[in-house]
Amino acid sequence: MTLVARLRSFFTALFRRRRVEREMDQEWQFHLDSRIESLTAGGLSRGEAERRARLEFGDPLRWKEQARESRGLGWLQDLGADVRYGCRQAMRAPAFAATVILTLGLGVGANTALFTRANTLLLAELPVHDPDSLVRLRRAGRNDMVTDSSDYGFSGTDSTGLDVRATFSYAILREFQAANRTMSDLFACAPLGRVSFSVNGVSEAASAFISSGNYYRVLGVSAALGRTITPEDDDASAPGVAVISDRYWRTRFGANPAIVGTAAEIKQVPVTIVGVLPPSFSGVQRAGAEPPDVAVPLSLDRRLFDGPVSRIDQPTNWWLQIMGRLRPGATAPQIEANLGGLFQATARAGMEAYLGSLTEEERGRAANRSREAVPRLIAGSGARGIYDAQESAVTTVRVLAAVVALVLLAVCANVANLLVSRATARRRELAIRLSLGATRGRLARQLLTETVLLASSAGLLALAVAHWGVALLPGAPGQSDVVDVRVLSFTGAVAIVTGLIVGLVPAFRSTRNLVEAGLKAATGSAGHSRRRLDRTLLAIQVAVSVVLLIGAGLFLQTVQNLRRVSVGFNPENLVLFRLDSRLNRYDAKRTAALFEDVRARLESVPGVRVAAFSDVALLSGAVSTGGMFVPGRVYAQGEYDTIYRVVVSPRFFETLGIPLLQGRAFTEHDREDTPRVAVVNETAARRYFGDERPIGRRFGRELEQRDQVEIIGVVQDVRYDSLREPAPPTVFVPALQVPLASAMFEVRTAADPLGAVPALREAVRNVDPNVPLLDVSTQESQIERRFLQERVLARLVSLFGAMVALVAGIGLFGLLSYSVTRRTGEIGVRMALGAARTDVVRMVASESVSVVAGGIAAGVALSIAGARLISSQLFGLAPTDLRTHFAAIGLMVVVAALAACVPARRATRVDPMMALRAE
Amino acid sequence: MPRKTGEPATTTELLQGTLDLLILKAVSLGPQHGYGVLLLIQQISRETLQIQQGSLYPALYRLEHQGHIAASWGVSENNRRARFYQLTAAGRRRLEAETAYWRRLSHGIGLVLAASSEDV
Repeated sequence: MTLVARLRSFFTALFRRRRVEREMDQEWQFHLDSRIESLTAGGLSRGEAERRARLEFGDPLRWKEQARESRGLGWLQDLGADVRYGCRQAMRAPAFAATVILTLGLGVGANTALFTRANTLLLAELPVHDPDSLVRLRRAGRNDMVTDSSDYGFSGTDSTGLDVRATFSYAILREFQAANRTMSDLFACAPLGRVSFSVNGVSEAASAFISSGNYYRVLGVSAALGRTITPEDDDASAPGVAVISDRYWRTRFGANPAIVGTAAEIKQVPVTIVGVLPPSFSGVQRAGAEPPDVAVPLSLDRRLFDGPVSRIDQPTNWWLQIMGRLRPGATAPQIEANLGGLFQATARAGMEAYLGSLTEEERGRAANRSREAVPRLIAGSGARGIYDAQESAVTTVRVLAAVVALVLLAVCANVANLLVSRATARRRELAIRLSLGATRGRLARQLLTETVLLASSAGLLALAVAHWGVALLPGAPGQSDVVDVRVLSFTGAVAIVTGLIVGLVPAFRSTRNLVEAGLKAATGSAGHSRRRLDRTLLAIQVAVSVVLLIGAGLFLQTVQNLRRVSVGFNPENLVLFRLDSRLNRYDAKRTAALFEDVRARLESVPGVRVAAFSDVALLSGAVSTGGMFVPGRVYAQGEYDTIYRVVVSPRFFETLGIPLLQGRAFTEHDREDTPRVAVVNETAARRYFGDERPIGRRFGRELEQRDQVEIIGVVQDVRYDSLREPAPPTVFVPALQVPLASAMFEVRTAADPLGAVPALREAVRNVDPNVPLLDVSTQESQIERRFLQERVLARLVSLFGAMVALVAGIGLFGLLSYSVTRRTGEIGVRMALGAARTDVVRMVASESVSVVAGGIAAGVALSIAGARLISSQLFGLAPTDLRTHFAAIGLMVVVAALAACVPARRATRVDPMMALRAE
Repeated sequence: MPRKTGEPATTTELLQGTLDLLILKAVSLGPQHGYGVLLLIQQISRETLQIQQGSLYPALYRLEHQGHIAASWGVSENNRRARFYQLTAAGRRRLEAETAYWRRLSHGIGLVLAASSEDV
């Protein structure tokens, strides 16, 4: 009852303030008038009565103030005053405010960006209904029950070090569906790569995805527009349907709702677009992954598949990812018990069926004998999708998380330092306010308001920094790069609370003694404990600077070392782009002709020196490998060698600038109807033929065909996949003998490679206007992308290192300046007693020596302790590299010396007479 | 504090917290405007209680805020618009409680002060 009344009167007072004030005036006017009337009736003159009435009433302003408090508005008014006062304070010390806001903003922002990304990489769950009950099925161990296998992401190893993969055959899916008793439902899906997606006569390349019909139902996803794919769509005889992602709907179709119901073609297979998926849905590959542009039901694979037999009907083709939802009460081990045996039996049956389809001779081949190993089924949480985050991205984020945690530490130390200094500088003001009757609680509220003001300004800055920072980080380029507000508030709160506890509590406590000491201490010494706190905070900053400077040195040298790696070919002025004949359903013969036509046409473009194509570009992240059997070597049962392989067009070596060391390169005469030939690199020649001449020697991809291919040349080693590893054994085979469906073109230009792109586009269009250029880039940018993470680390760690070192330097400068001011008298006495200038300098500098030395020692210890964390990220030097450590220490000493310079000079200029007189 | 001439010279400053009780009592006799409350308290106490006139209002608003009295605009005896205060049920309960408390307190204090050496 009274609570309601209180709230009502509070809100009336708050929101109808003007009316309330007016009524108050009217009420008091009535009071005064009545009193005046009564006084004049008593015989006073009008003027005298008015004067008397006002006197009796008292100061209306004071009553008004009290009246507001009566209505519960007091604290609100105080808050307003505090905020105004706080702003004025900040204006009066703009350098202080700016430093606090900038430091806190950068520190908190960087932390927020990092933890936002760490969150998507390590913790985020799929944005679907009840992700915690999702399970992913995978397999661990060697798999001989497979002839073709696809995998689409990073899976890693299980606890015993066995290889883990995430794909299964269609036959296994069917058996699982029939025998499942532990999941309420299970579904299968697979990325389809890039397809041509033709709508209203316009064809574009789109990323595609295929899934069983119950996929959307199990995940609890409903369409944003139209409908999702249903189990009825997944019938072999059902008409083709497709759904598109929200992003694709916006970018390609301008968010036109009429797209639903439109007829389209995927790889020339007719489908109807039946719906648009919601923007939050990004599929099950990995939390934070990009959603595919277009998705179709599983049954469509028979129509979309390029080969003669669909993967659905190949029992040894493992290509489907399987996920399910746990039945309530069921556990992952129960799934393994339920389906594990069936899994291995079905896998074996698939292999037997495959072998049964072969001829006697084919069955006898080494590759088909000894097919024994069957992996083990493993079921685990699918809450975060099929795949885990890439290991290298996780490591990078871990390193950066450690870095920004250090930065936050330095930021807290610095802000605490600033707040303490500020509070000390304001002790006089606080003391005056206390002695004038302000309560300590009231003052605490004032200080709190000021700190929160600074913090919220820093928070705004942090938001911007975080937004910008997340884009810089490796790992998840998807749509989930939204700055995590929870993380922002958390890191912000940490910084503020640290600042408050470390900074304000001691300062505030000191005001107690102040009043008693009659304000006189305000200009005197600040006390021993405060100075010790100061020095500890500074030493922390120095330590963090040293760690970050060492890290920056290590990463900068790593990037330099990676840049200096000789890749074995000339990456300058080399344009790369891909053509995919499957997008346009070319057959093999027409494809070969298309690629050769394009290559020839490219060479006629002005500014192009020479052009070639291959199945993969070197150092682009794509890898192709094959078996390697050499006559004369003895192979144990099931043993084989793997060699890196590139299928190349004529003039490939010439285009890339790979020197031919022996024999000859491929020509137009190495065709399908001529003997099989190959070129190997030095490492392969050495590995398989030792000191013998490799030209004329033979090898094969399978044991039975080991005489099939003749080696006609040896080229210099080139890096294939990794800049960190030496060149692997590599074999080059001619594209005219191994037909390609998709080719990466390499074009050597005379000048700026990207400037040539429009002319190249035109040349391709002249051959076939319907073939799009995909993935246009340069070889140099491909190589730079191979160490993007190292570059990001180097850049960020250097930036943070410089920032923290600068802040620490300013802190040291402040410490020494203060000390010189405080000890002017002492210096004067010493000089009067005959101390030399150098003695004075030594005396001043010694103040900072202990701080700097302590900080450096702690920093080096910390960096050695953290060496293991970054050793896998470095290249060409150890994490304990002495030179780098000395350089970082040297840099810190230089910063400290610079910071000591000015105060020391000031100290030597102290006039003994003046100083003593002031004493 | 100025006083009317001819008034008794002994006025007493109010104990802290007693103003609320006096206001509640005054208002319990019937709806009053602020000036009326003042007059009533002065009349009944025969002008021995000294109230700074303006301080009446924050107290009135506090009681209103707490829900012990309710206010509404009405017309005064001299035909002017005035704000009238009225006791609420919660106010009545509080008045009873505070009156009982005050009686106990003054009785107790009275006993102590009336004590002579024989009583001990």
